[in-house]
Amino acid sequence: MADQNVQAGSPSGQMDGQTSGRTAADAIISVRHLSKSFGKHEVLKDIDFNVFKGDVTTVIGASGSGKSTLLRCINLLETPSSGQILYHGQDVMGRHVDAAGYRSHVGMVFQSFNLFYNKNVLDNCMVGQIRVLKRSKQQAYEEAIKYLGKVGMLPYVKAKPRQLSGGQKQRVAIARALAMNPEVLLFDEPTSALDPEMVGEVLDVMSALAKEGMTMIVVTHEMAFARQVSTQVVYMNDGVICESGTPDQIFGNPQSEKTKDFLARFLKR
Amino acid sequence: MEQFVKLGSDMASLWSKYGGTYMGGIWRTLILASVGTAIGCLIGFLCGIVQTIPVSRNDSVVKKVILKIVQVILRIYVEVFRGTPMILQAVFIFYGLPYFTNNSIQFEGKWLVSILVVSINTGAYMTESMRGGIISVDPGQTEGAMAIGMTHFQTMTSVVLPQAIRNIMPQIGNNFIINVKDTSVMFIIGFTDFFAVHKSVVGATFTYFPSAAIEMIGYLTMTLLASWLLRFLEKRMDGKSDYELVAVDQLTLPAGVYHVNAKKSEKDMNPDERAALQKDAQSRIEDRSGKEAR
Ligand SMILES: Nc1ncnc2c1ncn2[C@@H]1O[C@H](COP(=O)(O)OP(=O)(O)OP(=O)(O)O)[C@@H](O)[C@H]1O
Ligand SMILES: [Mg+2]
Repeated sequence: MADQNVQAGSPSGQMDGQTSGRTAADAIISVRHLSKSFGKHEVLKDIDFNVFKGDVTTVIGASGSGKSTLLRCINLLETPSSGQILYHGQDVMGRHVDAAGYRSHVGMVFQSFNLFYNKNVLDNCMVGQIRVLKRSKQQAYEEAIKYLGKVGMLPYVKAKPRQLSGGQKQRVAIARALAMNPEVLLFDEPTSALDPEMVGEVLDVMSALAKEGMTMIVVTHEMAFARQVSTQVVYMNDGVICESGTPDQIFGNPQSEKTKDFLARFLKR
Repeated sequence: MEQFVKLGSDMASLWSKYGGTYMGGIWRTLILASVGTAIGCLIGFLCGIVQTIPVSRNDSVVKKVILKIVQVILRIYVEVFRGTPMILQAVFIFYGLPYFTNNSIQFEGKWLVSILVVSINTGAYMTESMRGGIISVDPGQTEGAMAIGMTHFQTMTSVVLPQAIRNIMPQIGNNFIINVKDTSVMFIIGFTDFFAVHKSVVGATFTYFPSAAIEMIGYLTMTLLASWLLRFLEKRMDGKSDYELVAVDQLTLPAGVYHVNAKKSEKDMNPDERAALQKDAQSRIEDRSGKEAR
């Protein structure tokens, strides 16, 4: 079966195609045999994949297939039931590992923005730098301004989140994550909660980030974006990675029947 | 009509004779209610925070057990002091402590025990309010904070508590107003608050109704002032309802700007914003044409 094809020949969980030639030891994040259950419900089953520097990995799949859970496990917002998550080869679930410290290297952008409602745009981008990274106010200010400028939100530094549109909130959330200078950024359907006319402004920012070489894992239903921007596409179905490869492989020449079905259903809409 | 005139003159004569006594009562009531509410809030904040500490997988068993025990004790505290009348609590503590300590602990003055009782009682209510305030802050914000590496302590102090306290401000006000009125039960241990003044005054003069009228006005003045003060504080905490757009000269930006199709602007903006943006754009165009002309 084509489904097995993907994992076969990559014993250490290494991707074929795009990532061949690089070994799992070079990966920034290496997910190994990751499983997650909520009670009896097994949501993720034996997930294996690597993320290398500069990779833009998009995760696609039907609703309920476990995409968000995967991202949340990678960021330890959810505790995996078994398996490992290695960050530069180190298991982040070890007792001695400081989860908060790890999270400061792996940023996350949420579907629902999750900005701090008691702080204005500028403070949203400064508070983590000051309290977590112990930067000086001045330094934090400069970084915040730099990234708010990049996402085009400088005029709004004094606004509170409730005074912004969805697209603006999401751009602030991206700036907040970037200001921590993370090594990897996780995006969980960053445009799904947005009105159609605001999707573009957020995707533009993300494409620009990708061009700058930011390492990203993006869960998305924006297939055009996945195809254009990503270096690796992961198709998830029912808690397992059904197929993965380059965008051309997955969109141009999918091997698995399930992938074909999913894409066909998606394109019909 | 005549009655009102008579009432007015009765009240005036009462006040001229006992005004100082009434004011003394008002003063004592206010101090007891404010100090008791303040300490009670502090107790409530602390207990509410402890009640919402999450346990994480990496915590040691000892920490988990201790936390659980403390939380159960706090739970009992809340139930006992919410579930019994304050008048009884006052008696219980005022006479109970000497009883249990063979009179080695006795209360010198009524102040200490009164403040103690009001604080503990208010603390029990505020613990639940605070717990509610904390869990009502959208958990997404907690995740947002965790995702940038903040610890539970940092998340609480920077994000959750400011919002929780803002949300329970009306309940703090409620508790204060209730305390202004309910501290009158402290007569049971001999504390002479505003209402106790009434009893001693009518004992001497038998002017029940005029004195009661003075009491009514006195209590209402206190509580209305308190309400007004609280509203004012809430407004201050909320900050401005609008914001300034900051004009940005693109040249001063340290790095390139991502191209963003922010098409939304026009229709979502209020007129001021739109004007500011247009002015900003206009000045930039003028800048550029000025340079080109030279
Ligand atoms: N906290 C939880 N407790 C119990 N079950 C959960 C929890 N979170 C997720 N699930 C279940 O796990 C499954 C996968 O959920 P998940 O949110 O990861 O899906 P998804 O692929 O992100 O879907 P979508 O595209 O709709 O966001 C679902 O069946 C969901 O009901
Ligand atoms: Mg999801």
